[in-house]
Amino acid sequence: MEFRPILSALMRSKVAMILIGLQVALTLAIMCNALFIINQRLERMHRPSGMNETDTFIVGSYGFGSGFNVQTTVDADLAMLRNLPGVVDVAMTNGMVPMGQSGWGSGVGLQPNQKQATARTAYYMVDDHAINAYGLKLVAGRNFKPEEISFMTMNNRKTSPVAIITQALALKLFPDGNAIGKQIYDENEPFTIIGVVDALEKPWVDAEDVEYSVMWPTHLAYGNGSTYLIRAEPGRRDEVMKVVEAKLGESNQSRIVRSMRSIEKVRAQAYANDRAMAIILGSVIAALLTITALGIVGMASFWVAQRTKQIGTRRALGATRGSILRYFQTENFVITTCGLLLGGLLTYALSLWLLTHVDGAKLLPWYYVPIGFACLWLLGQLAVLGPATRASRVPPAVATRSV
Amino acid sequence: MLKMQHLSKVYRTHMVETHALRDFSIHVRDGEFVAVTGPSGSGKTTFLNIAGLLEEFTSGEFWLDGVDVRGLGDDARSKLRNEKIGFIFQGFNLIPDLNLFDNVDVPLRYRGFNAAERKKRIEESLSRVGLSSRMKHYPSELSGGQQQRVAIARALAGSPRLLMADEPTGNLDSLMARGVMELLEEINRQGTTIIMVTHDPELAARAQRNVHVMDGQVTDFDAEPSLRVKTRDADVETAAA
Repeated sequence: MEFRPILSALMRSKVAMILIGLQVALTLAIMCNALFIINQRLERMHRPSGMNETDTFIVGSYGFGSGFNVQTTVDADLAMLRNLPGVVDVAMTNGMVPMGQSGWGSGVGLQPNQKQATARTAYYMVDDHAINAYGLKLVAGRNFKPEEISFMTMNNRKTSPVAIITQALALKLFPDGNAIGKQIYDENEPFTIIGVVDALEKPWVDAEDVEYSVMWPTHLAYGNGSTYLIRAEPGRRDEVMKVVEAKLGESNQSRIVRSMRSIEKVRAQAYANDRAMAIILGSVIAALLTITALGIVGMASFWVAQRTKQIGTRRALGATRGSILRYFQTENFVITTCGLLLGGLLTYALSLWLLTHVDGAKLLPWYYVPIGFACLWLLGQLAVLGPATRASRVPPAVATRSV
Repeated sequence: MLKMQHLSKVYRTHMVETHALRDFSIHVRDGEFVAVTGPSGSGKTTFLNIAGLLEEFTSGEFWLDGVDVRGLGDDARSKLRNEKIGFIFQGFNLIPDLNLFDNVDVPLRYRGFNAAERKKRIEESLSRVGLSSRMKHYPSELSGGQQQRVAIARALAGSPRLLMADEPTGNLDSLMARGVMELLEEINRQGTTIIMVTHDPELAARAQRNVHVMDGQVTDFDAEPSLRVKTRDADVETAAA
């Protein structure tokens, strides 16, 4: 390989080398950090919520008539909905679903009135149908019993002293691995853990410890509002949604049916910003790579045109077409490598800057840099291939031409 | 060393056919110093390009150092060119961004010599042209005569059997031209065959034999007794025999 003479020749025309090298360096720094952010967002967007998202939807009901009785309405609604064709199960909830971005939450402790909660958790107030309706997996203990479900109103806040928690929360509270039968406290109220489900995310996608959730056996009806989580048979969700909306409307004229959304739509809305960010950063990377590739093509084309005589001379002195092709590829490799070495430093400088200036930013994992190197080496080689091929077609007889 | 027989070269465009060489026959023996002369457009450079394997010919036969050149692929021609021929160009054709050492190194790298062998050959050939002390200099730091000496060193470094010189003194003043010619004569005395294309009769007169080209054909050749024959074809046949 001709590394040394190529490098020494490049050192005699530094400007183009520096410009392309800087372009490569900046592209690497931005590309690696942007890719890392995109991957973080994608990872978040594809984080499993723990529930069945494909077949489920939520729907709200709000009574407005003076004689509206929320408890009898809920009982009638649940009985009616659970018997609709295509419905697998229905749970009343306090309006909470993973990624819903609103809901209840507090801290639970291992002692009454702990100054600082042991874990910050979401509070799902649900009934004995919730595990089936949400599509959760009970990994230990048991489900709620129907007689444990209380009806919580403004005047009656009493609830059965049992709870089902997520496995992640169980491990946090009881690292020895056995949470069943143990007590936890909501302020000074004790609850016995009767079941552990595999996973159920908090409703807030940005929350810390997003996998810490507690389910209380409660029908919550603050005011005249109620929310149902409905699971349809596979492939029948949209059909069931229409039927549910119509049936709820028909069954009670003193309420409005509102906020009906599939959980897939809930997910899409929750992660809309992440998706937009990923698309914007992806576009920035694509634009940068295109500009860098065009820069390399432009520079290499200029050099081929400028060095036609030199290429002819090299051919006359014995260079094969392959030698000329390799010469330009090696030259590009040398320039790109110089840019990448600088770019490696810039990449971590940018990552450190993001770490200190952006909430939630993490230090770039090391393996992004070699991946970036490989991408830009490949880009450089592909970009230079056209001009290098043109150079390899310069005939050796050019060497004897006087112009 | 070099034998062409009934060789022709036709340049074709969609409108015109130009016969640059027609029925061109020549035989250059080992160790000869042949000057090829002729006016502009006579076909001298086309002959040089074909003889130097820089260009292909349309028809005829061509042997270079016993190798039948017809039908050789581009890579094979490059290899043969690199091994057998050294070039000296009118405009020196040094690579401006490489120092003298690296300039002389160019054909040796294509030859595949190892680093130690290349270094030895570069130092020897630069020493032979009197420029061993300036190996780290760049072409722009040298006079025209010195640049042509570097080009000669580059041509000699691979120990070619044939040196092709295209107007080697065309860009030099008379003093420098004389120096270069003396160097070429010395190289020839040491056994290297030289074919020099020139339009300068004074230079041509210093060669052992002159071949005059006109309208793509050899119209006259020097009466060097040992090589002289009555016709061009006879020249080839006699020489081949």
